[in-house]
Amino acid sequence: MSKTSLQNLKLGIFVVLGTLLLLIASYLIGNGQNIFAKNVTLHAVFKNVNGLQIGNNVRFSGVNIGTVDKLEMSNDTSITVYMVIGEKMRKHIKKDAIATIGSDGLVGSMLVNIVPGKGGMGSVNDGDELKSYSRISTQDMLNTLNVTNENAALLTSNLLKVTQSMMEGKGVVGRLLTDTIMGQDFHRMVSDLQQGSQRANATLTELQGLVQRMNMDKSVAGTLLSDTLTAMKMRTSIENLETSSMAVKEMAQHLEQIIDSIKTGDGLFQRVTRDTTMSRLLMETMENIEQGTRKFDENMEALKHSFLTRGYFRKMERESGDDRGKKQP
Amino acid sequence: MEMIVRTKQFFMGIGDLTYFAARFFKQLVRPPFEVKELLRQCYQVGNRSLLLVVTTGFIIGLVLTLQTRPTLIEFGAVSWMPNMVGISIVREIGPVITALICSGRVASGFGAELGSMRVTEQIDAMEVSGTNPFKFLVVTRILATTLMLPLLVIFGDLIALYGSSLVEYFKGNVAFKLYFNKVFEALSYGDLVPATMKSFVFGFVIGLTGCYKGYKTERGTAGVGIAANTAVVMASLLLFMVDFVAVFISDIFYEL
Repeated sequence: MSKTSLQNLKLGIFVVLGTLLLLIASYLIGNGQNIFAKNVTLHAVFKNVNGLQIGNNVRFSGVNIGTVDKLEMSNDTSITVYMVIGEKMRKHIKKDAIATIGSDGLVGSMLVNIVPGKGGMGSVNDGDELKSYSRISTQDMLNTLNVTNENAALLTSNLLKVTQSMMEGKGVVGRLLTDTIMGQDFHRMVSDLQQGSQRANATLTELQGLVQRMNMDKSVAGTLLSDTLTAMKMRTSIENLETSSMAVKEMAQHLEQIIDSIKTGDGLFQRVTRDTTMSRLLMETMENIEQGTRKFDENMEALKHSFLTRGYFRKMERESGDDRGKKQP
Repeated sequence: MEMIVRTKQFFMGIGDLTYFAARFFKQLVRPPFEVKELLRQCYQVGNRSLLLVVTTGFIIGLVLTLQTRPTLIEFGAVSWMPNMVGISIVREIGPVITALICSGRVASGFGAELGSMRVTEQIDAMEVSGTNPFKFLVVTRILATTLMLPLLVIFGDLIALYGSSLVEYFKGNVAFKLYFNKVFEALSYGDLVPATMKSFVFGFVIGLTGCYKGYKTERGTAGVGIAANTAVVMASLLLFMVDFVAVFISDIFYEL
């Protein structure tokens, strides 16, 4: 009797353990498929799902958060993909998140990637639709490539023509290729150009340094360059300058006219400038006048000392001295 | 002429086996139920086979992983080892290996036991004494194997996966948790449910052939040996046939 009860005990342990293991295994498998957890369903519409299947993973920022629950053909260009996602993840997915179809590695199965949006939106609710972004499929890529290929073929045929004419020495480029002297000239030219550019480079660096210094310090040029107020003033002064230069120009024109008239005319000036005998006469006249004035001076001096007129001169002197005394006591 | 006789015998054997199975189902639902004997048989089939199944499973898991490692490394897909080993063990290797081990141990045991009872006329005596020998001997045994085999398969799977994870841990530095995470990520109900259903049928087949061969033993003591032998051979063969059919049927319900 005790033997059978022991056997029964062992059998009971065996059965219970086995059943438990089966339950645990099915729970763990179900956990992976989000069967027991609280779920929300989201959907997105794609043009092409690239072989996505029911049960494929749904990833959010690279984390597995759910599985594809159902694929529904809405019409010939749109497929609605229903995704089951854990309730815990719902609050992290915002309404502007974007769903894309991707693949798990190079040879992996397809999956739905949910990419977070820019943020600032509320969390999704059960049954919401996500925006979708269909990747360019291989077929589209090939179509584009086809067009590119045709263009490339056209291009190469044209290129062939161009190179042939070049080889034959037609046109400037052909000359360049075939003519050796021209090539040498060209070479020299290029080396000259190189030197020139080097110098230009050096000048530019110096200029740069100058400009930097100008920018740095508060010198007139610096202020001129950086200060907008001064620039305005400068502009007005430049405008003024312009107007004045216009006036100067006008004046210069007038002057020119005057000079012209002097040159051509028959007036005194013309005589003065042109006639040399006249000038000599004038000079003699001037000398005579000078002598005349000196003699006149001597006469006046003599007049001062003569007794007839001395009284008058004394009176004049006294009056001027009184004036001075009144002003400066 | 001999050919026709053999073919005739073959079909007769299959027909007989089918009748035997039908008789089992008829007796199964009809009281009285021999619960005590059923529990005894369950202990014999389940607990006593456990060590054998666990050892085999452990070695199978270990060896499978060791043998596939170089190939997977060559493809750079060694990280897929848990998925591959997990799916192959749970779907196919676990149930089949466990069932084969049990057919060797249980079917031959049933064949020899019932065969010797038949030969020594104990079964006839039982019938005379008013006990239903079919119910007492056959129904309990078949039911015991049918119920116990899925449990053995579960244990075998677990230990095989443990053996595989040991290899991965020591050779590939894969943590146990990661290994089992990946295994359960790879598995779906489409793997577990058909395998479990299948192991019920495997258990039924093992019990049925063992009991059938033993119950129908003829020609004295020599017949006992033949019964034990043919029970194992027939059970193993039937197991694979059932496995073949099971894959097709599970393919209908779960896309494999």
